[in-house]
Amino acid sequence: MIQTTNTPTNHHCALRALRVTFAATFITAALLAVGCGSVNTTYTRTTPADSAVSAQTRVNDLFQEFFLTAKEVRMNRTKGGPMEVQIDVENNGFAYKTFSYRFDWVDTAGNVIASQLSVWKVSNVPSGGSTVIRAVAPSDDATDFRLQLRQSES
Amino acid sequence: MRTRSIIVLLPIALLAPIACERARYVDTGSPEGVITVGNVDMQDILKASSGMLESLAETGVLKTAKNKPAQLVMGEIVNDTSSRFDVGEMTYRMREQLVNTGQAAVVTTFGNTPEDKQAQEVLRREKFLKGETSEPLPDPDFSLTGKITQVKRSAGDTKQVTYTFRLTLTNLRSGLEVWTKTVDMTKLGNKNAVGF
Repeated sequence: MIQTTNTPTNHHCALRALRVTFAATFITAALLAVGCGSVNTTYTRTTPADSAVSAQTRVNDLFQEFFLTAKEVRMNRTKGGPMEVQIDVENNGFAYKTFSYRFDWVDTAGNVIASQLSVWKVSNVPSGGSTVIRAVAPSDDATDFRLQLRQSES
Repeated sequence: MRTRSIIVLLPIALLAPIACERARYVDTGSPEGVITVGNVDMQDILKASSGMLESLAETGVLKTAKNKPAQLVMGEIVNDTSSRFDVGEMTYRMREQLVNTGQAAVVTTFGNTPEDKQAQEVLRREKFLKGETSEPLPDPDFSLTGKITQVKRSAGDTKQVTYTFRLTLTNLRSGLEVWTKTVDMTKLGNKNAVGF
């Protein structure tokens, strides 16, 4: 009887030890992953910028959306006249991320303005860090933009 | 024997479709294109021309010209890299954007080595026939010059190359530099690859 009660207890202990070991391994691996090339960021602004605008994203790649986030979108008119957009992209993942992006500018009617400025560019962002991607409109007629963001598979 | 043949051939049969990639079209300058470590790629040229055009637009320097639109002379842009490519791949894209949107007009009949010698001859003859009261020859506002350089470094098998595109706009009335822009591209790796 005693033996019967002892056997499950030992089994539970072994299971608990296995779980603790697994959890410790996972946490250590996660911490190591975060530690490799990740950055700490300090900033003073805690509220959206005056030039911040609302934006919506159509998510086709949930994995990418989860780790790479467009945090804030700002639009200003440049000294030369055309609009400029700046987007803060944050990497909430555990690994260094490489992504490519392209801005297409549209006029007041919503038509895309074909230009040599709309090209795919590549940027990198370390784990826990953020980067600012920016673009300048090809002409004063451009009032809005569309951004396509694509994460590297590597 | 038969089993051994299957064991040997099966992985080859499975890997064969992965190894050979069929030719296909990709967007020019797309990140899916080939990326080389030791050469300037199309993606680099497009990024450089786009960066230059953005800077020209945001500073508004072309709007300060006496002529409307600004008249521009294409000067010498030196490719000082070990990568062989036509600098026109960048400059003609810039010209297309500037000229077709009315931000600038490129003078192709200026100087001793004009881009269009025939047009310059016609223009000179017309001026001569009409006398001194005729419209003056093109009076450009700016000249565009530049240089493309590289810095190569390596650590073991890993190579790193930084290509720097530099352009300068000089006001031809004052002789002063009124705009300059640098676009860098750094590539790192030990072999060429197909992008993502």
